Amino acid sequence: MPHSSQPPADVGRYAYDAVDRTFLKQRVEQFRDQVQRRISGALSEDEFKPLRLMNGLYLQLHAYMLRVAIPYGIVSANQMRTLAHIARRYDRGYGHFTTRQNIQFNWIRLEDTPDILNILADAEMHAIQTSGNCIRNVTSDQFAGAARDEVLDPRVHAEILRQWSTLHPEFTFLPRKFKIAISGSAQDRVAARFHDIGLLARMGENGRAVFEVYVGGGLGRTPVVGVKLRDDLPEEDLIAYLEAVLRIYNAYGRRDNIYKARIKILVQALGLGAFRDEVNAEFMAMDRSRYRLQPEVVAAIRARFASPVFEDASAASAQLVAQTKADPAFAAWVNINTHPHQQDGYCSVTISCKPAGGIPGDVTSAQMDLLADMADQYSFGELRITHLQNVVLGHVRKDNLFALWQALSAKGLGTANVGMITDIIACPGLDYCALANARSIPIAQKLSQRFSNAALQQEIGALRLNISGCINACGHHHAGHIGILGVDKRGEEAFQITLGGNSGEDASIGQIIGSAMSEDETVDAIARIVDTYLVQRKPGERFIETCRRLGAAPFKDAAYATA
Amino acid sequence: MSVDRRNNRRDTEGCSVVTANRLLDGRIVWLDAQGKWQLTIAHACLFPNDGMEDVLRSQSARAGADNVVGVYGVQVEQTAHGPCPRTTRERIRADGPSVHAEFTPLWQPAPAVVSGS
Repeated sequence: MPHSSQPPADVGRYAYDAVDRTFLKQRVEQFRDQVQRRISGALSEDEFKPLRLMNGLYLQLHAYMLRVAIPYGIVSANQMRTLAHIARRYDRGYGHFTTRQNIQFNWIRLEDTPDILNILADAEMHAIQTSGNCIRNVTSDQFAGAARDEVLDPRVHAEILRQWSTLHPEFTFLPRKFKIAISGSAQDRVAARFHDIGLLARMGENGRAVFEVYVGGGLGRTPVVGVKLRDDLPEEDLIAYLEAVLRIYNAYGRRDNIYKARIKILVQALGLGAFRDEVNAEFMAMDRSRYRLQPEVVAAIRARFASPVFEDASAASAQLVAQTKADPAFAAWVNINTHPHQQDGYCSVTISCKPAGGIPGDVTSAQMDLLADMADQYSFGELRITHLQNVVLGHVRKDNLFALWQALSAKGLGTANVGMITDIIACPGLDYCALANARSIPIAQKLSQRFSNAALQQEIGALRLNISGCINACGHHHAGHIGILGVDKRGEEAFQITLGGNSGEDASIGQIIGSAMSEDETVDAIARIVDTYLVQRKPGERFIETCRRLGAAPFKDAAYATA
Repeated sequence: MSVDRRNNRRDTEGCSVVTANRLLDGRIVWLDAQGKWQLTIAHACLFPNDGMEDVLRSQSARAGADNVVGVYGVQVEQTAHGPCPRTTRERIRADGPSVHAEFTPLWQPAPAVVSGS
C-alpha cells in the first residue's frame, strides 16, 4: 500500500515516497557497516557471504558482480543514466541485461559497493531480491501498459507482489530461490510456464481481473513445464493464494538437497492434485480478510504509476508508410522490431542489444546514455528491459521511428533481428561466471556472425536460439527452439545441442540430440540444422513447427553429418 | 569459504600453483615464491602436487591476514611463457575474459575515469 498520495513522477514507474527512500538509505548504511566489518576482519567470509548476497553482490570469476534489481523491467531515463554512471565510474564501461530483466556489473570492488548502493538509492533503485533463497525480482511483459492485446496492466499487480514479497519475514529463507512472472495479456510473453509461479491475467466478470495460476515450472538441472493450479483466481485473493502456495512450499520443500529444493520438485513429488489440496486447505484456513486485495488498494497502487499523455498522432502512420517505402532497411527494422500499441499512431519498439557478432545483453555506458536520451525524446522518459536481454521503448510515435532508428543505428543499436536466430539469449558463461562449465558468449558471437545476413535471417524467420554455459540454464537453453548447453569434458569446454524447446502457450522442453561437440563443430552443426529446416519446411511453417512435425531425427542426422 | 571441488582437482604427479581472489576488489591473484599474492600467473610459484594439501592448508589459514578469499590449487603445465593451467576455466582466470582482450589481469582504469569525470 502506498504511504502517501503524492503524485507520481515518472511515466510507467512506481513512484517512491519518503518511507521508501528512508528504508533504502537505512539499508545502504546497514550494508556499509557490514562491509567495514568484513574488511576489518570482524566478519569471516562465511559470515559475510549471505549478507552480501542479500544485497546482490556475488564473487564471480574475475571480480565481484553486482546485480541491480529492475522491478518488472521498468527503468526511467534518469535511472538508466545512473546505471551508465555506475558502469563508467565503478565498472569497466559495460552493463549486462539479464533474463530476469535486471542488470549486472561484472567488475565491482567490494569497498565501492556501499557507495554504489547509495547512488542507486538516490535514483530509487537497489539490489534487493536479486540473490538468495527469497522471492526474486518479479518479471513482467515488456509491452505492459502499451500492448494492443493487453487486458490489464500487469505492472500494477507486479508492484503489489513486489511490496508483498520484499523482506517478507516468512519467505526470506525459503528452501530455494523463487521466481514469479506475470502477464496482462493472453499471449504469454513472460515464459509463465517456466516459473515457480506464472500468472496470466484476464478480465473477469464485473470488470475485475482474474488470474490463471501456473506452478512448478522452471529450467535448470531439472527442466519442468509448469502446471495450471487455478484457472480463475480473483484479484482480491491474489496475495492470499500466493501466500498459501509459498507456505506449502516453505513447509514441505526440501532443504536437504539443493538440487531438489525448488517448488517444481515438490509439486512433482506430491502430484498436482495433492499439492493443490494442500494449498487449498491452507488458503481456506487463512484469515482471508487480512489478505484481501481491496479495489481501493489496487487503485492506489495504480495511481502511483504516471500514465503517458498521448498526442493526436493520426497522421503518423501515413508518414511512416512513406518513410518505409523510401528505405528498405528501415522498413525491415519497423517490421521486425515494433509491436502494436493501444494508441493509434504509436507503437512499442524493441531495441536489439544483439548486433552482429556482439555480446548478447551487453551495453556500454555510452549506449546506456543514448538509450536514456532516446527514451526522453521519444517515449516519455521510460524504458523496459526484456527477459530476452533487449530494451523496449513502450510508446513511440510512428512518425518518430525513422529518427529513432537513425540515432540507434549510429551507436550499434539499430539491428533488425528481434525474434530471429541472431536475437540470442546467452548467459555470461565461463568468461565471467564462477559456476559455468563453458563460455556462452564466444559461440553466441560466432553464430551471430554466421547468420548476420539480414535476408538469410528473414528467410529463416522466427527462431529462438538460447545458450547456457552450464546446467543451471541461466541462458534458458531448454526453452530455445535450438538450445546450446555448455559442458565440461575433462577441463575442456564442449557443447550439447537441444531441439524443440518453446516458452509460450505451447511450452515445451528442448531435448538433447546427441553428444557434445567443440565450439566450431557446434556452430557448423547448427548451420546444418537450419539448412535442414529450410529444405524440409512446409509453406509458412516456423522452425519449431517443422521440428515438432518431423521430430529430432533429420536434424540430428544433419547435426552429426560429416563433410 | 568453500571451493568448488571441480576447481581443486589435481593428479598425483605434476605441479600446481595457488590462487585466490582479493578481498577488496575480487581480482584474481597467484601466490609467488615469497608468499606474496600477484596479479599475473607468470609470477606464480610452482608446488609439487604431492605437497599441495599442506600448502593449501597453510595458505587458507592465513587468507584473512592476506586479505584473500577462496584459496585453492590449479594444476599447470610448464611452458616457455610460464605456468599454463590445464583447464579452460583456469586459463580464462589467468588471462582474463576471452571476449574482451583489453581486460588483461593488469588492466587499470583510465585516469579520467578514476577521477570521476
